[in-house]
Amino acid sequence: MAALTPYTYIQCPCSDSPTLGRPSDASSPTSPEPDEDDRTFDPRAPRSNYSLYPLEYLLYCEDCHQIRCPRCVAEEIVTYYCPNCLFEVPSSNLKSEGNRCTRSCFQCPICIGPLAVTSVETKPDPSLLAAPDNTATPHSGPYALTCSYCNWTSTEVGIKFDKPNGIHAQLAKLRNGGATRMTAKERKERRKDPAFRAAAAAAIGSREQEDLDLETQFANLKMFYQNQLAHPNSADTGLSGLGDLGFSSPTSLSRIMSLYTGGGLQDKKAKSRVGAMREALDPDEGFQLASLDESAAIAQLQAETLDDTASAAQLLDQPPNIGEEHLYGRGRFASELRPIPYLLRTKRSKRCPMCRHIISKPEAKVQTTRFRIRLIAGSYIPSIAIRPLAISSGSSASGPAVPGALLEPLKPAHYLLTFKNPIFEPVKVTLGAPSKTPGRFASKVTVLCPDFEIDANTDVWDEALRETGERDREKERRRRRGEDGNHNNNNNHNQLEVGKIWERGRNWVSIVVEVVPASLALVAGQGPLREDEDVLEIPMFVRVEWEGDAGGDEVGSAPGGDKEVREKRELAYWCVLGLGRIRQ
Amino acid sequence: MSSRRPPRGEYIETDTGNKVARKATLVGTQNIILGGKTVIQPDVMIRGDLVRTIQPASQSATGAAPNNTAVSIGRYCFLSRGCCLRPPGRLYKGAFTYMPLRIGDHVFVGPASVVQAASIGSHVHIGAKVAIGEFAIVKDYVRILDGTVVPPHMVIPSFSIVAGQPARLIGEVPEGGHEAFELRDLYRTVGNNPQPTPV
Repeated sequence: MAALTPYTYIQCPCSDSPTLGRPSDASSPTSPEPDEDDRTFDPRAPRSNYSLYPLEYLLYCEDCHQIRCPRCVAEEIVTYYCPNCLFEVPSSNLKSEGNRCTRSCFQCPICIGPLAVTSVETKPDPSLLAAPDNTATPHSGPYALTCSYCNWTSTEVGIKFDKPNGIHAQLAKLRNGGATRMTAKERKERRKDPAFRAAAAAAIGSREQEDLDLETQFANLKMFYQNQLAHPNSADTGLSGLGDLGFSSPTSLSRIMSLYTGGGLQDKKAKSRVGAMREALDPDEGFQLASLDESAAIAQLQAETLDDTASAAQLLDQPPNIGEEHLYGRGRFASELRPIPYLLRTKRSKRCPMCRHIISKPEAKVQTTRFRIRLIAGSYIPSIAIRPLAISSGSSASGPAVPGALLEPLKPAHYLLTFKNPIFEPVKVTLGAPSKTPGRFASKVTVLCPDFEIDANTDVWDEALRETGERDREKERRRRRGEDGNHNNNNNHNQLEVGKIWERGRNWVSIVVEVVPASLALVAGQGPLREDEDVLEIPMFVRVEWEGDAGGDEVGSAPGGDKEVREKRELAYWCVLGLGRIRQ
Repeated sequence: MSSRRPPRGEYIETDTGNKVARKATLVGTQNIILGGKTVIQPDVMIRGDLVRTIQPASQSATGAAPNNTAVSIGRYCFLSRGCCLRPPGRLYKGAFTYMPLRIGDHVFVGPASVVQAASIGSHVHIGAKVAIGEFAIVKDYVRILDGTVVPPHMVIPSFSIVAGQPARLIGEVPEGGHEAFELRDLYRTVGNNPQPTPV
């Protein structure tokens, strides 16, 4: 079993449905659940899955004085960029080209590794082997995309490129197998050609089908239905009663088309019209016979192994290919997968959902990693570090000396919680933890010192001078140790005493939590041990109080006017301390 | 701890604050540049001998002194036990040549990892047993989890968390996670006179 490093997760207040993370307001009606305040937070409740975050993931709104989590902030996209070539993509391109990189950035369809453009090595002709200028032109076409991780190359699906650049545009014109695909414009031009018309007329007689790809079929269908709407065939009005609901009615058709083509086709006149329209009849109108003959695919399945079929993940990674011939029966085999253009990534700014203030905003440029605004919770609320505490002097008490070791059931263990104050004011911390952890296996929890004060994080110079004044620092450290009468190596001097702080530093305080892990022995009738049910998790309510400057905001309770007025602030939240696994 | 320490000191501490283990294998030291305050643990190998053999056309044309740096490492980097830094090599104009490996500041390389990247940015955490393929580019604030295999020529943009074989993006570094990449405190905890981890 994997060792568990102790963790602290903090619950974002946005998951409290009655308050929805608003600052508590005395005038507002109380929550519908009267026992809301008395209820102990259960870290194992299914709802908690979505509200617990490590401190690093949390932001803080300075106006609402509230923690904000990734789930409750409103995100706004600042920049789109390709994760491979790191070029910024303007949002106007995004509308026309889609959310993928249109340069030559591709991922391997088999293993998602990056693909590189390489020239296809043409096997030298034996007769030309003696030719001296064999290596004169090492970089000449054709080119292929190759994966340096799994050695897949696009020649496996029969795709080769004439030029080493503009791969995305070239690939759009290529079908698997190397056959070129006509763009809609080319198709239209071909139709005007009299020679082609004559051939097409002959083909209709012989019932030969022209293969339409998705893009052309859609374009043909759209054109056909637009014509139908413009000139409704008044002759066939057989089902006028049902006509308004059926697929062939002009009203429902114009509604559907406005859905798929962006509303430009909404025809006011069509509403008054009643009557059915005919459906597409030939490929020029977008008619495509379904090929229901799957014998080729079945034969291939029989001939190949499971490894040759595409996995669900591989199919999901495939971009929609509008050059595909048919929607049905596509890409079931790994040999049919196409290179994946890189999905674009974004830089996003984040807003507070309540006051709409920006709480995180990165620089717009792709290459810079700076932030214009970055209000992280870690610089407002104390961090909590957990460390197992081994006490040799205590006869009964013992803890896992090695971090990550299993907790012995029914044997008291001690943990050191270190609270570090990030703000420039001294804070008063009040902890509340249930005496028994919620859940099927209730462990006993005792917070030895639930009420303490942490000094301010004022002495910025201390940290800066640490590097240069190595000796001074050592002296200071010794002094501090002497004062507190404890040394890391002889912790035995410290007595576990209720209501007493274990250790104290410049802006941190350590306290001891005693736990008696529950026995995981299953009583008859109980279900089996669920996943991670052996992890000892303590819900703890943290209340932080401090006196801050009354910033010029109206949110605070202190009335404005006096600049020197000190405002009492408090912040309270649930957090979960994951201490370790209990031995089964 | 103090009893196990060899009398001469396990590390050589340079004027610029580098702490290089005596048991580290540095090949071609004249081609390795350390920015200072970098920790090199025992059994680390840096292949400074794999120096560029073909100079870029612009430099050879001007007749400037050839740049012989094979590996350059910034400040506050931490190379854990048993890792290997190796400049990447490839065919260039028909001949094989190595290219320099550049590493920024505050880069942690986990134990038993092999790095053959073209460049690694600043504030990068590379876990244990990671293989970074040739000419990979890792930007700033990237976390590469244990056991990852980064394919050659892969680009990992800033604020990515990657894992898997081959590496794939599994998450983004949150806004509050930037400080975790700082290696100043870790730097103090090793050396001939290690300091305890500050709280």
